[in-house]
Amino acid sequence: MFTWVVKLGRKFAVLGALALLGALLCATMIRFAPGYGVDERELDSRLSQESRDAIRSEYGTAETLPHYYRRYVSGLLRGDLGASVFLQRPVVQLIRERSPLTARTVGFGLLAAWIGSSILGLLAIRFPNAMLNYSAMALTGFLIALPAAVIALLFVFWRAPVFLGIALVTFPKLYRYQHNLLAQAHSQPFVFAARTRGVSENRILFRHVIPLVWAPVLALTGVSASMAFGAAIPLEALSDSPGMGQLAWQAALNRDLPLLTSITLCVTLLTVAVNFLADAIGQRKSS
Amino acid sequence: MIQRVFRGVSWSILAIVFAFALFAEGFTHYPYARQFRELPNAAPSTVHLLGTDDLGRDLFTRVVYGTRVSLLLAPAAALLATAIASILGGLAGLRGGRLESSILAFTDLLMSLPLFFLLIALRAFLPLDISPLLSVVATFVTLGLLGWPSSLRVVCAASRNLRQSEHMLLARATGYSNAQLLFRQVIPNLRPIFLAQFWISIPLFILTEATLSMLGLGVMEPLPSWGNLLRGCEDFGAMSANPWRLIPLLLLVITVICFQLILHSTEEPA
Repeated sequence: MFTWVVKLGRKFAVLGALALLGALLCATMIRFAPGYGVDERELDSRLSQESRDAIRSEYGTAETLPHYYRRYVSGLLRGDLGASVFLQRPVVQLIRERSPLTARTVGFGLLAAWIGSSILGLLAIRFPNAMLNYSAMALTGFLIALPAAVIALLFVFWRAPVFLGIALVTFPKLYRYQHNLLAQAHSQPFVFAARTRGVSENRILFRHVIPLVWAPVLALTGVSASMAFGAAIPLEALSDSPGMGQLAWQAALNRDLPLLTSITLCVTLLTVAVNFLADAIGQRKSS
Repeated sequence: MIQRVFRGVSWSILAIVFAFALFAEGFTHYPYARQFRELPNAAPSTVHLLGTDDLGRDLFTRVVYGTRVSLLLAPAAALLATAIASILGGLAGLRGGRLESSILAFTDLLMSLPLFFLLIALRAFLPLDISPLLSVVATFVTLGLLGWPSSLRVVCAASRNLRQSEHMLLARATGYSNAQLLFRQVIPNLRPIFLAQFWISIPLFILTEATLSMLGLGVMEPLPSWGNLLRGCEDFGAMSANPWRLIPLLLLVITVICFQLILHSTEEPA
């Protein structure tokens, strides 16, 4: 138990270091992006030189690099992620407004994808049937071959909820991974041994095969969260759903780097935390 | 047997589509950006095989040249990703110890990041009004630079196995340096793995480019790609009236499925 707590503490220390590294990377991207510190108000010929200098000083273009990083990181520690250039609003406020919708969409989407892929995976292993296997392969193959943006457009056309789109993007990859793991475990010699001793197929599956694969399947939680957040961008953007994905897309189109890098940093920390947590639970169970 | 049939059909379709992309000039004599302003939204005819788009550009020509952009540059990006994965993964597996742990930790971190967020963040770093040619290069170089982590894990595992083999011990005893071991022993021996990883990356990059371009963050107009040709799908009315405009989508789906079938049949020999 103590070792596990130490390991967990170490993981969260790594997460803290990553947050700092990510923040510095974001600050660097913003600082060195082409057009940093340029404001279209400067083109107004009615403004005096003093006014132009005042506008430039708002961006801090004259400050040294270490001072800029210090200002950025201390702002982050106070919960100040800067202001959006094109929406002219604090980034924290925008994230606070948009994140509940994305959290709901991604959460329900992941839940639907996990339930669907697990049921189909278990059915394909429990009732081995060429027809079922080929149908599942064809369905997942077709879904993998569709770009997420096309799925988004289909959902706009059908007026279906966005979370189902996220489920549809994540489901095929989850199914294939789970099915491969289950099939590998199901072909182990102990399964044949159990079968020859008269153990029922349900008991073999639920008492022997699933406990063997559940740790690697759990490790997939973080990756699936990352896939779902990635899919949220085209789905929310094209379905006009006002979440973080749509905000990131708008920020990219308007080259609003303070907003875009802050969203990326938040989503990154979230997915890395989910990954670490899944990893820690897996280690705890296996130890 | 079925696997072999699938593989044969997939190879044939891919060969046709690649020929279509490589010899685009032989299939159409119009430039892809030429506008027939008197013929916007024209129906298919002998002059314009798939009709024209809302700007009067020949759709067949745009599909042919779009296929070239998507299908020739995705392998280039896959090559870049595989090269990064082979050098870093090979080195990590070969050296082991802290170097391996650091490279794998960095890889795990990149794998857990949402690729799409990183892609649009890097893409937004560049101005949006860059030339179409530069947008193609930027899109595929970004894909190549960010698409290597999953391949690296596979390469590293294989290279680690190789590290303990007898011929590597012999090479070490002969006085090979680490660089010589990597480039003369590890990389040549892992060629089938690189090929598989390269093959896996191509459809992934084709799909990512399509989504990026549909969102206006990939290949820029007037240069066509499968992705920006699919932007027309947003107009449902025009799509249902002119279903042949879905041909780029059909081509994309068929190509990706062919790549999957070839991979699947290689994994499970008949």
